[in-house]
Amino acid sequence: MNQPRQNPGFSRRQLLKYSGLGAMAVGGSGFLAACGDDGGDGGPQSAGGTLIHGATGGGTKDTLDPHQPVQAADIARCCNLYEPLLFWNNDYQLEPALAESVEASNDAITWTVTMRPDVTFHNGQPVTANDAWLSIRRVADPKAPLSAGGQLSQIIDFESSKVVDDQTLEIVLNTPYAILDSLLAEYTLGIIPGGEFDPANPVGTGPFKYESFQAGKTSTFKKYTDYWGDAAFLDELVIQDFTDDNAKVNALQAGQIQTVDNLPYNLVETIEGAGGGVLIAEGGQWVPFTMRVDQAPFDDVRVRQAMRLIVDRQAMIDQTLSGYGSLGNDLYAPLDVAYASDLPQREQDIDQAKSLLAAAGQDGLQVELFTGDDISSVAPAAANLFAEQAKEAGVEVKVTKKTPFYDDDYLSYTFAQDFWNTRNYIPQAVVGTFPPEQGGTYNETHWDSAEHRDLVNAAAKELDEAKRNDLLHQAQEIEYEEGGLIIWGFRQQVDAYGANVQGLEPSKYLPLGNYKFSKVSV
Amino acid sequence: MTQVALPDPLEEVAPPRGRSGGAAWALWLARRVGLAVLSLWLVSVLVFLATVSLGDPVRAILGRDYESNVARREQLEAQLGVGDSIVTRYFDWLGGLFTGDFGTSLANQQPVWEQISSNVVNTLVLVLLAALVMIPLAFGIAMISAHYRRRRPDTVIQTILLALAGVPEFVTGILLVALFSTTVFHIFPAVTIVSPTGGHPWDDPNGMVLPVATLVLAVTPYVSRIVRATLLEVLDSDYVELARLKGIPERVVMRKHALLNAVVPGIQVIALQLAWLAGGVVLVETLFAYPGVGRQLVDSVRNHDVPMVQALSMIIAAVYIVVNLVADVLSILLTPRARTAISS
Repeated sequence: MNQPRQNPGFSRRQLLKYSGLGAMAVGGSGFLAACGDDGGDGGPQSAGGTLIHGATGGGTKDTLDPHQPVQAADIARCCNLYEPLLFWNNDYQLEPALAESVEASNDAITWTVTMRPDVTFHNGQPVTANDAWLSIRRVADPKAPLSAGGQLSQIIDFESSKVVDDQTLEIVLNTPYAILDSLLAEYTLGIIPGGEFDPANPVGTGPFKYESFQAGKTSTFKKYTDYWGDAAFLDELVIQDFTDDNAKVNALQAGQIQTVDNLPYNLVETIEGAGGGVLIAEGGQWVPFTMRVDQAPFDDVRVRQAMRLIVDRQAMIDQTLSGYGSLGNDLYAPLDVAYASDLPQREQDIDQAKSLLAAAGQDGLQVELFTGDDISSVAPAAANLFAEQAKEAGVEVKVTKKTPFYDDDYLSYTFAQDFWNTRNYIPQAVVGTFPPEQGGTYNETHWDSAEHRDLVNAAAKELDEAKRNDLLHQAQEIEYEEGGLIIWGFRQQVDAYGANVQGLEPSKYLPLGNYKFSKVSV
Repeated sequence: MTQVALPDPLEEVAPPRGRSGGAAWALWLARRVGLAVLSLWLVSVLVFLATVSLGDPVRAILGRDYESNVARREQLEAQLGVGDSIVTRYFDWLGGLFTGDFGTSLANQQPVWEQISSNVVNTLVLVLLAALVMIPLAFGIAMISAHYRRRRPDTVIQTILLALAGVPEFVTGILLVALFSTTVFHIFPAVTIVSPTGGHPWDDPNGMVLPVATLVLAVTPYVSRIVRATLLEVLDSDYVELARLKGIPERVVMRKHALLNAVVPGIQVIALQLAWLAGGVVLVETLFAYPGVGRQLVDSVRNHDVPMVQALSMIIAAVYIVVNLVADVLSILLTPRARTAISS
């Protein structure tokens, strides 16, 4: 996935991962096409065999740590070895996993987690509420929170929370938080025995158990026969790192590997022509333009709106994503049920942009736009295209490519770009639009609206879903009218598989149907 | 090699005075090895200075966490010895090299040697296999070419070699993969997949075919052209002419009189090419997902993993020096004049 590769983006990238990767509503046609290619037989899946998955990226930094995976290969391993208390399913809805239920008290302060009975770790030990609590503590350690723990470390009251018995965990918060369950469903919050990760012998509860691992090369996993859910069809799962897209696709075409994630768009037809299948899933990755609302010229809302009207969104998708994307409306969290899909789709309107700029006294505006390869391969292309489109409105955009982009200047650029994965509205709004001291670690636009913030905070405390969505709708309207982000589209997730692979379904959350190889047969 | 004044061949060569020929050889070899060690030491200074002067790796690794994650920063700084003088750090590092301790990787906190040893072996095997195929092939082609000099077979061969020399090795590799693994035929695997439980790439010999073939195609043209040029020179010489006049069959002339005299420049160019392969096969390794040192070096540079970069640079430099040393020794042994000069 087009993750920033530079180290300065490292911690940020981990955080992004927590939000999940690709996602999306399966466009009906994509789904049907994918099913149609599924070997063409609806016959029963056969058990046994080995599947080799070609994972994108990987290197000496690879890790099996369930709580801090770095790139696609890590995530693929993580999803098969470990499981969180809840799952995001293919439709980006919550489903019970190691917990049978996660229930909130009426004030959204006390949460009761009931563990699924008779689940065992790969080492035979039963999974208890204590293991869950210690795993959460490891992730949400206030002194050093890991990827999934940023928000958790701030809201959990570690003194009052307690393990009631083997099946029951009571999590007490220091502030009402109505969507705690969604934080517990991230794949970076796998439950491990005693909350202790042993790199030499990683133990989880997933459908595959650890066999071997070499950073940057290959790792192998064996079917876990005592799995609590449907046991895997495969006897063995091998995950092979690929630093090069060509090697990955060649290996798939040669039949050496059976699945790859993140197929380059230009190879879709090649794979289909060779009898393989392509899995297209609607996703939520986005590469916005970020305008600092506290600095000229973008401190004038008319200039911000003019810039938003300059963008030809469909052209952006066609040219930078080869058409594999869906339109953005300057709002994030398209997979959230609260997404304000009823707001009119913003379209290119050069005349209105010109008149807004004239009204703001900014005819012949000149701005510098910062971009970089480490944002995403999409970013520089989108920046150059924007500069072209801006010419029509008489705005001169000077594109400056920085290497690395994520250095000390990040978060101070007046006009730049950034990269985000899917996440729901509340956590995204907190991390991206709140002041830093209130959790806005990556507030690129320096957006600081008390009204917007109050709505988001109120929604975070509201257990009633209808009321919550109403509050969030109001918050989104504010961003739609005044925000500093230009969100032109969301990337679709494209993965591929060999002719004999059965059982893959597109998922809005992670590539290759959330990497659930237990459902796949060869 | 310095030009040694040759004794008049008609004059009786006096037996070496004072010391035996064997001792002279040992002394000569010791000097060459000493020079090699000196070069290696100079390389170590350069590698160290280059990696140290690249700015603060801790800042680069931690990025925006540099200010906030104090614990990790201090740990990395202690590991790198930030605060000690450069000289101390250099000698600590050099001392480690002598005792076989290459340090600990910054990226994953594993010992460096543990991570690179198998890759070093993998790359050496790949290069060695390529050499085993390439040397006879290059000499064979050169002999055929020289035999038919400036006639049609020679022209055809030279054109093909020039074309191959002009195409970058990864392009050859991509074509080979398309031809033999993916698009046309499905004979050989397209990438190398190694079992992580102590497996080697050559466990599946089929998987080695395309990487080796790519390297052979990349290197053979150079070697072959040099050997052919030398052969032509030798074939024009008076003693070959004399041998022919004496009625010795052309095959024997070619093998015994010409080839043996043309082999020395061939050895030199082979050495240079092999040394280049040891460090420069990164494109081929990437294309075939071959677990070698080139790819690891690129990965380590990207991770700002200073100890890994230092260790890998030293190993690649050592291969250069050793291969060239061996080539020099072989050249001397195969050149009677130089041989006599040393032992006398």
